[in-house]
Amino acid sequence: MSISATPLTPEVVSKDGNAMVLSMGPQHPSTHGVLQIMLEIEGENIVKAEPEIGYLHTGIEKNAENQFWSTAQTNVERMDYLAPSNNALCYALAVEKLLGITNDIPERASLIRVLNSELTRIASHCVWLGTGGIDLGALSVFFYTFDLRENILDMQEAAGGARMHPNYIRVGGVNGDLPDGYMDRLNAFIEKFPGRMRDLRALLQANPILQDRMIDVGIMTPEEAVQWNITGPSLRASGIAYDVRKAYPYCGFETYDFDVPTREEGDSYARFLVRLDEMEESHRIIKQVRDRLQKTHGPVAIDNAKVVAPPKETIALSMEALIHHFKIMTEGFRVPPGDVYQATESPRGELAYYIVSDGGNRPYRIRTRPPSMYNLQALKGMGPGNLIADLVVMIGSLDPVFGEVDR
Amino acid sequence: MPSTQSPPLLGGAIDPTAVRPPIDDALIERIEPAQLHARLVQLKSEGYTMLLDVGAVDYPQRAPRFDVVYHLLKMPVRKSSVKEVGSPQRLRLLCGVPAEKTSLPTATDLWLSADWAEREIFDLFGITFDGHPDMRRIQMPNDWEGYPLRKDYPLRGPARERSPRPSFALKSNVNAGTPPSGRTLEALQAQIAKARAEDGKA
Repeated sequence: MSISATPLTPEVVSKDGNAMVLSMGPQHPSTHGVLQIMLEIEGENIVKAEPEIGYLHTGIEKNAENQFWSTAQTNVERMDYLAPSNNALCYALAVEKLLGITNDIPERASLIRVLNSELTRIASHCVWLGTGGIDLGALSVFFYTFDLRENILDMQEAAGGARMHPNYIRVGGVNGDLPDGYMDRLNAFIEKFPGRMRDLRALLQANPILQDRMIDVGIMTPEEAVQWNITGPSLRASGIAYDVRKAYPYCGFETYDFDVPTREEGDSYARFLVRLDEMEESHRIIKQVRDRLQKTHGPVAIDNAKVVAPPKETIALSMEALIHHFKIMTEGFRVPPGDVYQATESPRGELAYYIVSDGGNRPYRIRTRPPSMYNLQALKGMGPGNLIADLVVMIGSLDPVFGEVDR
Repeated sequence: MPSTQSPPLLGGAIDPTAVRPPIDDALIERIEPAQLHARLVQLKSEGYTMLLDVGAVDYPQRAPRFDVVYHLLKMPVRKSSVKEVGSPQRLRLLCGVPAEKTSLPTATDLWLSADWAEREIFDLFGITFDGHPDMRRIQMPNDWEGYPLRKDYPLRGPARERSPRPSFALKSNVNAGTPPSGRTLEALQAQIAKARAEDGKA
C-alpha cells in the first residue's frame, strides 16, 4: 500500500501487459457526485485506483475571506450540503472562541444547536442509506429514507426558513426561537422514527444480497484507518471509538446519555451497521433534548448587540437597536486577532475549521478540515485487489459529499 | 492575471497567530523548514499517529510569508473504547515558509494522508513539497495559472467584453406602456419589427 510515482492520466490508455486504464466518472451515477476515478485494471480486478477530484471546486474558502464574519457562514454551510447545520455549528463555535463568548451562549441556544446537529445527522445518514441502497440495487429503501428526511427538512424550514440551507445556527446563538407547532412536529418525528428504523433494518440488515455485496469488502484495519486519517463512522467501524462529541465535548454533549457505536470488522458492512446504530443514538439524544427544551426557557442568542443584531421588533422602539442593526448589517462585527482550531463531529467525521482573524470584520483565512476528502482518499488504499463492482460499494460506504471534498 | 478588483485590504495585525495565548486545546509549536521533517518523525514516534490536516495561510506583509499548519492527533492505533481513546492530545505545528523558497519536505513518507493535503497546498498556495510522489494540481484544472488562495490573487477574473445588444432589446427603443388601443402585445411586436427593420438597414 503506497502511492506510486506515475500518475494515471486520461492520456494513458493502456499500460504494459494486460493492464488497461479506465476512467470511471465524473458522470457516473454511483459516484455520489462528480468524482472521477482513474482505474488501472486487469480484467475486472483493480490494480490501482486514483480518485480525481476538483470538479465541484467553487472556491468557498476564497469567497469566505471576502465576506463578513456573519455572511461567510452562508458559504461554509454550502460545503457539506447534506448536513449544513453541522458546518454552521462548527463555524459558529470557532468564531465564538475567537470572540471569547463561548461561555455566554444561553442554555436554550445550545439545546437547539444540539437538536439541529443531531437532526441533520439523521437526515444526512438517510441520504447515505437511500443512495447507498440504490448502488446495491435496493431501490425501495430510497423512498423510506427520503420520506424520513423530508420530515426533518420540514422542521428545518419551519425553524430557519429554508429547507436545505437554513442558516439557523448563527454566531452567538440561533436565529430566533423555535416556532409555534415545532414541538408537535418534533414529537411526531420522535414517534415515527423507531418504526421506520425497524422497517429499514428489516429491509436491509439481514438481506443476503446486501451482505454478499458488503461483507469483507473494503476492509480497513485500525492501523490503516489512522494512517489514512479516516474519522467518523468509518473509523469507528474499524474499532476505534473516537467521537469528537465524547473526546472534546461542545454544546454540552458531555451531559447527554448516548453511546458511540463501534464494530471491529472494518469492512463496508461494519460501516453500514455503525451508521444505522448512530441514527438510533442521535434519536436518543433528540429525545433528551426535547425533554430539556420543555423545561428550559429564555433567550436563544447572547445579549450583545455588538455581535448579534437586536430583535427586529425593537428597531421601531429603540434608537440604539436601530443603530446596532444598521452597523451589523452594513459592516459586520469585528473579531479579535488570533487563530483557532475547532473540531466537531459531523455525520462524516471530524469536521474542523482552522480560522485566522486579523482583527477585521472579515475572516482572514478559513481552512476546513474536510472529513469527506480524507475518507475518500483512502480509496487509493482500499481499491486495489478488488473488483470494479466492489469499488461502488466502497464509495457508498465512505459516504463522501463533494461539496466538501472540493469546496 | 489582470483584475478588475483590488485584492482585499490587510488588517493591522500582521501575524495573528502570535498576538494572544492559545485559546483551543491544542499544543502549539513553531518550527523552521529545515527542522520540519526531523520533528515530524520525532512526533510520530512520540505517539502522534494521525496527521489530521495540513493547511496553509498567506501573510504577504510578514517574513516568512506563508504558514503551513500541521494538525496532529495522538490516536491509538488499535481497537479501543471511548474510555481508552479519551481526549487524544492535539498538536499544531506551524512552519513558516519564506516567499523566496516556497518548498518544504513532504510528509507522505510518514502519513499516507498527507498526499492530497499537500497537493492542495501546492494547488492553492504554490508551495511545493520535495519528495511528494505526485505533485500536481488537485482542485484547479492542470493548466491553471496562479495560486488562488494567495492574498494577492484577485477574487474575480478580468471583465469580459459584452456582446452588443440588438437595438430592439434596448429599453429606450421600445415603449412598454399600454397603447391607447389596449393591445399591448401587438404594439410591442410592431415596435420590435420596426426596430429590426432599422437594424437591417444599418
